[in-house]
Amino acid sequence: MSIRDIIEGKRQWRAQLARVKALPPDYRIVYQEMQKYLFKVGPVDLLDGRLLTGIVDFFEEGAASGRGVLDLIGTDVAAFCDDLIKDSRTYADIYQDSVKG
Amino acid sequence: MDDLTEMLKGTLEGCVLEIIGGEETYGYAITRRLNELGFADVVEGTVYTILLRLERNGLVQVTKRPSEVGPPRKFYALNDAGREQLATFWAKWQYVSSRIDRLKEGGR
Amino acid sequence: MSFWDTITGNDLTREWQAFEARAAALPEDHRAAWAQVQDHLFPYGDFTGRNLMPIVDAALALLEEGAADGLDIDEILGDDIPGFARALAGGAGARTYRDRWREQLNSTVARKLARLGG
Repeated sequence: MSIRDIIEGKRQWRAQLARVKALPPDYRIVYQEMQKYLFKVGPVDLLDGRLLTGIVDFFEEGAASGRGVLDLIGTDVAAFCDDLIKDSRTYADIYQDSVKG
Repeated sequence: MDDLTEMLKGTLEGCVLEIIGGEETYGYAITRRLNELGFADVVEGTVYTILLRLERNGLVQVTKRPSEVGPPRKFYALNDAGREQLATFWAKWQYVSSRIDRLKEGGR
Repeated sequence: MSFWDTITGNDLTREWQAFEARAAALPEDHRAAWAQVQDHLFPYGDFTGRNLMPIVDAALALLEEGAADGLDIDEILGDDIPGFARALAGGAGARTYRDRWREQLNSTVARKLARLGG
């Protein structure tokens, strides 16, 4: 089963995309770049979908308060992403374990 | 004071626990409180990642409440495990800061 | 697909076919890059297959997202596909690759926000 299948299976993915589309442009850009980065790094947390919807929740709140996205998360977007997934193993970790095991 | 990020790393979670322990509150208010304290570099995103971790580790109770502006806000309160964690944080802080003070004063 | 047959049992073939169907929907350049990524994942290949699925899926999702955004292969994967595959599998050099992804993320965000005039 793939990340995408699971998210789509819950019919959350489309709703998620619509919400991202409704964000102000600066938030939308940062969200999309973050998502790309997270897909590359592949944290296991992506699977339950809550990591991504949580970010959208957070961004919607920030946007509603009228602040810019970088005021919200700082300019080091990658550090913010890494903080988000600090406790999550990645698929690469799991794969490496399976090879060693 | 600038550039405290590295030094604050291990303690920010404790600070957030302490603020939540005072009263049920939300991310932006926690961030402002830390900024007012003098931690100007702390952005809301940093607090968000901490809150996420607290929630995942079962240390807080989360309630969504309507907000005057925009979507509902998540409010955070400590549960028993959170209060325990906070007590542990202050005990550790006490230990570390007393040792560092002693070092600075040239004692043993 | 010989790459897949070499390393897995038939039970995974169906999932693999789903990947292939998604890959077939990609623009030509992206499809070519996909083939290259597969080739370079192969040396990491004593997979049971199941473990590889999420890694393959992530790579494919990345190409799909990028293609939808109208990005070139270079912009999506960089110019070092073997390095990219290695990083995906968490092998040697993964750390430096992750650093590059970090830099790429921050610079892309900065560039796109500047273009907004913000």
